[in-house]
Amino acid sequence: MKFCSIFSLLITGYLLSGCNPGANQDGGKSIVVGASMLSLQSEFVVNVKDAMENYAGENGVKLIVNDAQRTADKQVQQIETFISQKVDAIILNPCEVEASSPAVEKAKAAGIPVINVNSETSATPDGFVGSDDEESGTIAMEQIAKLLGGKGNIVIIDGYMGQAAQIKRAIGAKRILEKYPDINVLAEQTAEWDRAKAMSLMENWIQSYGDKINAVFAHNDEMGMGALQALEQAKLKDKVVVVSIDAIADALQAVKDGRLDATVYQDAKGQGEGAVDMAVKLARKEPVENKSVFIPFQLVTKENIASFLK
Amino acid sequence: MNMNLSKIKLPSGYLSKYGIFIAFLGICVLLSLTTPYFFTPQNILIILRQVSINGILAIGVTFVIIAGGIDLSLGSVLALTGVVAASFAHPGTYPLIVPVLLGIGVGILVGAVNGLTITVGRVAPFIVTLGMMTIARGLALVWSNGRPVTNLSPAFNDIGGGDLLHIPVPILLFVLVIIISAVILKYTRTGRYIYAVGGNENAARASGIRINRVKLFAYIICGGLAGLAGIVLAARITTGQPNAGIAYELDAIAAVVIGGTSLMGGRGSIAGTVIGVLIIGVINNGLDLLNVTSYYQQIIKGVIIISAVLLDRKNAQ
Amino acid sequence: MQPFATMNSGYLLRAENISKSFPGVKALDNVQLHVEKGKVHAVMGENGAGKSTLMKILIGMYTPDAGRIIYKGKPVFFNAVHDALKTGFAMIHQELMPFPELSVAENIYMGNEPLKSFPGWINRKKQNRDAQLLMEKLGLKIAVTRRMKTLSVAEMQMVEMAKALSNKAEIIIMDEPTSALSDRETAVLFNLIRELKAQGIAIIYISHKMDEILQIADTITVMRDGKHIATCPAGTISNEQLISLIVGRALDTIFKKRAVVPGETALSVKGLTGKKFKDIDFSLRRGEVLGIAGLMGAGRSEVVNTIFGLEKPTAGTIMVKGKAVVIRSPRDAIQLGIGLITEDRKKEGLVLSGTVKQNITLAALKTCCSGPFIDVQKERSIAKRQIQQFAIKVSSGNQVVNYLSGGNQQKVVLAKVLLNDPDILILDEPTRGIDIGAKAEIYKLMNEQVSKGKAIILISSELPEILGMSDRIMVMHEGRITAELTGAEATQEKIMQYAMQ
Repeated sequence: MKFCSIFSLLITGYLLSGCNPGANQDGGKSIVVGASMLSLQSEFVVNVKDAMENYAGENGVKLIVNDAQRTADKQVQQIETFISQKVDAIILNPCEVEASSPAVEKAKAAGIPVINVNSETSATPDGFVGSDDEESGTIAMEQIAKLLGGKGNIVIIDGYMGQAAQIKRAIGAKRILEKYPDINVLAEQTAEWDRAKAMSLMENWIQSYGDKINAVFAHNDEMGMGALQALEQAKLKDKVVVVSIDAIADALQAVKDGRLDATVYQDAKGQGEGAVDMAVKLARKEPVENKSVFIPFQLVTKENIASFLK
Repeated sequence: MNMNLSKIKLPSGYLSKYGIFIAFLGICVLLSLTTPYFFTPQNILIILRQVSINGILAIGVTFVIIAGGIDLSLGSVLALTGVVAASFAHPGTYPLIVPVLLGIGVGILVGAVNGLTITVGRVAPFIVTLGMMTIARGLALVWSNGRPVTNLSPAFNDIGGGDLLHIPVPILLFVLVIIISAVILKYTRTGRYIYAVGGNENAARASGIRINRVKLFAYIICGGLAGLAGIVLAARITTGQPNAGIAYELDAIAAVVIGGTSLMGGRGSIAGTVIGVLIIGVINNGLDLLNVTSYYQQIIKGVIIISAVLLDRKNAQ
Repeated sequence: MQPFATMNSGYLLRAENISKSFPGVKALDNVQLHVEKGKVHAVMGENGAGKSTLMKILIGMYTPDAGRIIYKGKPVFFNAVHDALKTGFAMIHQELMPFPELSVAENIYMGNEPLKSFPGWINRKKQNRDAQLLMEKLGLKIAVTRRMKTLSVAEMQMVEMAKALSNKAEIIIMDEPTSALSDRETAVLFNLIRELKAQGIAIIYISHKMDEILQIADTITVMRDGKHIATCPAGTISNEQLISLIVGRALDTIFKKRAVVPGETALSVKGLTGKKFKDIDFSLRRGEVLGIAGLMGAGRSEVVNTIFGLEKPTAGTIMVKGKAVVIRSPRDAIQLGIGLITEDRKKEGLVLSGTVKQNITLAALKTCCSGPFIDVQKERSIAKRQIQQFAIKVSSGNQVVNYLSGGNQQKVVLAKVLLNDPDILILDEPTRGIDIGAKAEIYKLMNEQVSKGKAIILISSELPEILGMSDRIMVMHEGRITAELTGAEATQEKIMQYAMQ
């Protein structure tokens, strides 16, 4: 879903302050950037897109945004259209690691700089702005281990099985679990990123495990919120820790209200702006120091929530 | 899972009439034996609450399928009505009745557009509702700017999570819908006409039935119930989600078919659909209770659905 | 009549001691059928006598519970229709099962397509050429590239026969082949049958029509209630004897004359024009039966369908009881007191998946309702009354219509239409494919209606029926009225003459 990568505000802020791509060194001719986004039905991707559009608008860059609707095939077609439109740079928010790679290769073959935003493809692009999804799983699980004091029973709600975000977040979480042998995974099941499904799943688990559950790790906030609601309805929330990933508005509010124990923040604004910035630089053949910008995820708890709420 | 069941020999008359019901009981017995958490009052209440959304959708589409049509737009309509209702349900804005009526109203409107395009425009139901599936999804995204509509009033959320007389509200709504729909289909003229139109459109027309009106009615009921389901879903997850309900129509149609309603039209019942809905709900719940791995859950679900229908059809012959 | 004891090696097919039961019914009880090469063997009996079941066993659709089938001296056993087809059996079903969207040639060679040398590719040219040759051999003028759905019922039937021939069948079973054919088409069919006979092909011929049987059959087997009643050479038996064998009792004359004086005009049509007919003028009086005769495709059904609102007229006026009316839909027609028994009861008459009760009350459901709700008790008693009055043979009103015999289905349609008590009753081929007993009952019902002062239009391709029932006969040819004859002056010859013009 939200292919997480986070942006640290600080790093991007630093990068961006260095140069303003809107300044028309080119003497008037504005840069055209084509962007193919994973899915504009995903809140996080919409946030990235909004950041890109705002930043492009402020800097006089013409941005064409296409929705790939989670279809790698469609994404490749969109890149082909960009190539025939002769855009100056392409931003790719990949649908899939392997299947979206031809899009990268086609752009490179056409000599148009291509930047991957948010997640990776197996083909190497000219630039990358995003983060490593495994890290989000690591941060979330580390927080659970901390809140449980290194021991207890947990349940895990997976994202849509087989998608890159689900696989990476699961790997990250597992790495931490190996360090804590006293944390026991009671059950692991997919709720397909869906809040209603996660709620049903949690209700069913409450039936079979009851108060044995000490913590819930959900691969995204939607599912985390679903689990949270099920626990609240069963009046078990004060006994169970819930941590999820993405820092969507609803989840941030829940953290502020003390309902959700923690979420993991990835910076849509920073990713979007960073990607456009790098695209413009590469289009103008300006030097880019770091062509691979990894932005660490950030843990959001009640203590630091204020800085994430606008 | 069904292997044991098919070995049970019952008088053939029984099986032919109640085959699917017996399959349902068999699944329940099997789950009761394998997990102690299944057959508890609390869990039964939870199952009923979980199935109520799919149940309301399935009953709506039962009308359409008996009338010889199909509705693939359900899941999207669910999302559209959910976000529309939710955006009128912020605390301290409108009285509760406003989002409820608007949600159902939008559902009815979509149903009417489906129905009119199919009857007056003479386009195949499959195509019209396939188109509506993406139109309604698009409208939901436009309406909500692609973001969930949050911060809903507690009164609205009670539609999905509250109790009335110690019974969860979604269950009450589901039961109400069951009763009204069963009465309409079985004891009213319009209900009878729905069967006739689905069974043989030409004969229905030659019998002086205004078939377009009957079909339109079926699609409007279906849309209105999708609207109601959208409200219940939004209230249950306390947000209007523009991407909620993807592929929900398939679960609803599966429930209808399991319940013995013919996809060719003219044959079926609300009671059958309710059993179909319960079978799907019980399987979902049971497999979670047994902590069956996600991958296997999908396979088992499919196998059980097909076997249940096989058992029913075999005995109906 | 005489027991079949002699073993005759000339028999192509011997079905011996065949029995078959369905839940609750013994459909066939120790039945014999011996068919000779190059002969037409007619099988007669009322609906439900077991003819269809026997044929379905011969063609491999059912397996018998007991008995054996000996073909060319060897026992054969068919697991499926495919086996029977391969052995040299073919069946032309009463209910045709064409592929409507495919061409005539494609229908003929379905499952047996001429292939090109490259695997899986159909040699279309050869297919069309072969089909064309076949059609010429049958004397048919149907373009083999036409889509099946554009053909008339009769033409589709011809195509089915061509298909049987193309499969090199040696035994062809024909189930009521002429039920949808006009007399001319029937004559074409009979010529074809004679030619097939000459080629040594055996034909098992099922029909209810006496005159046809006596004309074409060499041997007649009569069945009743699943039992073999008699087998005899066709020349040795009279019409009356045959009928009494079939029904198990002597029948009085089927057509009873009425003594009704026609009253005021109930319906009149002036200059009515539609897609397939032009300038139709006629009037119909109360207490009168107006017969409409003509060949298949003469536009008879289209005229009555237009009067009933099923099709749109392009010109002309319709007057009901002296008032000009506009009929846009069957609903309008029903409200004006018109009732139509459509030509195809399965297509337009019945909701086959519904029960007898539901079908009977369908067109008059309002009378069984209070407000929007159905009065269950009232509906049940109305249905029961209709079932009794129309002598529909069912165990209860909750029986599903699909499983009734043709005659009973037709009576359900009548019961439905007459429940609205129409003043003008239109019957389009009301006795097609139903047995003599049921026919007689339908004639009786018509006479009852007429004596109550109702006006009736009867369309029929069976000339004895038209002649026996009508007060006046209108003959149509290619969409126009070519003659109007009184009952007294009409004869089969005259009607045919005007029908063929």
